[in-house]
Amino acid sequence: MIDSRPLPADDELALPPEVLLVDDDEVNLLVITAALRERGFSVSQAMSGEEALRRLARAVPDVLVLDALMPGLDGFETCRAVRRRTGLRALPVLMLTGLDDDASISRAYEAGATDFFVKSNQWNLLAGRLRYLLRASRTRLELERSKAKLARAQDLARMGSFEWKSGSAAPRFSAEALRVLGFPLHAAPSLSRMLRVLSAKDRADLIALLRDAVEHAATLTTDLVLTQRSGRKRSVHIEAEPEFAEGGRLVGYTGIVQDLTDRRVAEDKIRHLDNFDALTGLPNRRQLIQRIERAIDTARQAQHQVALLLIDLDRFKIINDRLGHSAGDELLLEVSRRLKTCVRHSDQVLEPGIGSGEPPPVQSLEAVARLTGDEFMALLPVVVDASEAQAVAARILDLMRKPITVGGQECFMTASIGIALYPRDGTSAADLMKNADVAMHAVKSAGRDDVSLYSPAQAGPGRESLELESALHKAIERNELVLHFQPKIDVRTARMVGAEALMRWNRGGELISPTAFIPLAEESGLIVPLSAWVVREAARQARAWQDRFGVGLSIAVNLPTRIFERADLVELIQSAVTACGVAPAAIELEITETGLMKELHNVIPTLHRLNQIGVQISIDDFGTGYSSLAYLTTLPISELKIDRSFIRDLDTTPQSLAVVTAIMALARSLNLRVVAEGVENLRQMQVLRRLGCSVMQGFLFSGAKPAREIDSWLTQVVLPRKAAWIEAAAGADNPADDVPHAAVSAPGALAA
Amino acid sequence: MPTPIDSPLAPDRSALLSASGVHAIACLDAAALSGLRELDPQGRNGLIGRVVKGFQDSLARLVPQLRSAMQANDNDAIRYVSHTLKSSSASIGALRLSSLCAELEAAVRAGRTEGLQQRVDAVCAEIESVKPALDQLALTS
Repeated sequence: MIDSRPLPADDELALPPEVLLVDDDEVNLLVITAALRERGFSVSQAMSGEEALRRLARAVPDVLVLDALMPGLDGFETCRAVRRRTGLRALPVLMLTGLDDDASISRAYEAGATDFFVKSNQWNLLAGRLRYLLRASRTRLELERSKAKLARAQDLARMGSFEWKSGSAAPRFSAEALRVLGFPLHAAPSLSRMLRVLSAKDRADLIALLRDAVEHAATLTTDLVLTQRSGRKRSVHIEAEPEFAEGGRLVGYTGIVQDLTDRRVAEDKIRHLDNFDALTGLPNRRQLIQRIERAIDTARQAQHQVALLLIDLDRFKIINDRLGHSAGDELLLEVSRRLKTCVRHSDQVLEPGIGSGEPPPVQSLEAVARLTGDEFMALLPVVVDASEAQAVAARILDLMRKPITVGGQECFMTASIGIALYPRDGTSAADLMKNADVAMHAVKSAGRDDVSLYSPAQAGPGRESLELESALHKAIERNELVLHFQPKIDVRTARMVGAEALMRWNRGGELISPTAFIPLAEESGLIVPLSAWVVREAARQARAWQDRFGVGLSIAVNLPTRIFERADLVELIQSAVTACGVAPAAIELEITETGLMKELHNVIPTLHRLNQIGVQISIDDFGTGYSSLAYLTTLPISELKIDRSFIRDLDTTPQSLAVVTAIMALARSLNLRVVAEGVENLRQMQVLRRLGCSVMQGFLFSGAKPAREIDSWLTQVVLPRKAAWIEAAAGADNPADDVPHAAVSAPGALAA
Repeated sequence: MPTPIDSPLAPDRSALLSASGVHAIACLDAAALSGLRELDPQGRNGLIGRVVKGFQDSLARLVPQLRSAMQANDNDAIRYVSHTLKSSSASIGALRLSSLCAELEAAVRAGRTEGLQQRVDAVCAEIESVKPALDQLALTS
């Protein structure tokens, strides 16, 4: 037990230490007292053991000096009695014994004396012994107090310590640690008893961890969930450091265990507050966005659709104003209850980086969220098509129309629902939410209580998109559309072997990229005349180059997947090449891998017919989609274009190198040409050459430029061989292991 | 060292005079006395007087105890008295008395009971010799 008196501060140490001297002989008392007072001690006296015990009950000195031999309670008995008193266990006791009395010395220690002193008039020795005792006792007191403070701190932190000596069967836990682990105080649980509080999996993991830690003398850190005998589950953090003897031998571990349950609960609570609406308990906007993003990721890979339903209550504000906020809240609660019945609502918190192991199944993302006051959103992470989302919306509208009783009054509620689908209406959470909002507002302006699928025509302000649409209409007539060309180079011979045609819209002097107007063109049906224009223009340019350089260069045209579904595509191309007087092989069609695989069955007939007339098919962005290799072998394709992302990472990520190597091997065995896109530097070019790929496209050679500029690039750079890549390519003596570029023989006139 | 039994003590009168002119007192060791005086150099606490008084009191108490213990063959009581007198007599400088007590204590502790009567007598005889010295010390201090 610890003395409760405050520890003497430094200036208090100057106060004379208090000695209680116990001797039955007055002479001894007088002499020793005088000697000790002379040496700075404050001495009080007792003539017997009994008197000493009485005095000690009233005041505790700093040190007790006991004569061993006394009538009545002798020194030994007195000392034992002192030690039995809880407040006096740490009191230093000096036993005075006679000379040549070894028996008394050992008896003194047995009785609990701190030290002994052989009676003599060597007063300096006695004083020195007493000072030493006091110092030791003070140090011990400080240790006891800091130990007590530590124990208190550990208790507050729900933390305890343990040590595990090599060779002992189980760790030894402090009282606090036993409390954390849920064992009774003073228990010495065996290892197997301790492991039993863990789940089978945690147990196996911990044993493996322990083995591994001991084998490598490594630090041990882990979190475990244990089930106490009461059935309560606790999250416990364990951290242990190895201890080494001299010479580096591992002698054991010392560490702490900490109960993190409350912290975990608090963290969960905070996480919940961050992610859920306080009134309805539904996921909030933040949580919803995370779920939408996760759903989009999954949908992108699994190639399915995602639906977002924005549900806005009609005229909620009027009810809120008329009946008051609490009635409004009541109504919102009822609405959220009804909405939850329409979807497979999941309350699971989803947060990036939290939750280890398996990602949740995509269905668990499904939920109704509350965005703002009377705005809710339903996320359907997997839908087959729009009609599935519309069916859910119809169910919601039905449920909303049923009267709701709030504040003792029956209210009639309706809702307006806007639907946006991934990927049709957007590929990001923000776009989808925005477009669901656009669709919802379309319902509102059309009279409410209905559902609408998003369409770009609704996009507000709709005027702008209409304007763009009519402008695009006129663009063709006004010759505002232009084709830019990016050369495909065979670096072995430094020749241009073809070009990719890329559409630009020169709208009032500003070049607009196709990504800005193609979706609108697709939506409005303008994509058909646009595609026709591109094909005709490509054929015209093929003819121009043929006339100028005397060779048939093949020009690759990108067409949207849905154009391939059109039966008249073959006729369109046929008429274009005929009109320009070039072979159908002058036109190559690029279709993205993703688009091709998605619409495989719809486009296969067209591909075969195109192939029959001599038009070659190239698969764009190859490597990013999920090609069925079985189909690849049967499709009438001639070329794979390796996606630029792999080229970009070629010299930084081994995976990209592996992908390109695999594509090369695939192409070789299927007898397909390979074009590498997005080649930007010599290093990439050389790596590709080493991998057996020689036809490339990218800024290293030339960007996409008007045909006129390509002409001058050919005559001023390529023909005179004035480019770093030509020298570098010539320097590399690679085997001509490519599949021959069969479609277009290398234009001799362009060769140096 | 001759045992007290073999050579009954005679007060060494020559010890009454010391070279330094300070009174030497028979039976009392000068060095021990000066050690005692150092504990109360100016005599403000009357330490010597109190110690002498204390010693005389304990002699008055202990000598009868010793005699009756001897008669009753109460070895524990003999041992207790000899132990107590051993250290208090040493404190006051009665070194011969102290060593006689030590021998008595040691004999009792070791269970050597033969000659115990003589040892007790020797102690009592020495006490009688010391008493006048104590009176003298009380007067001169």
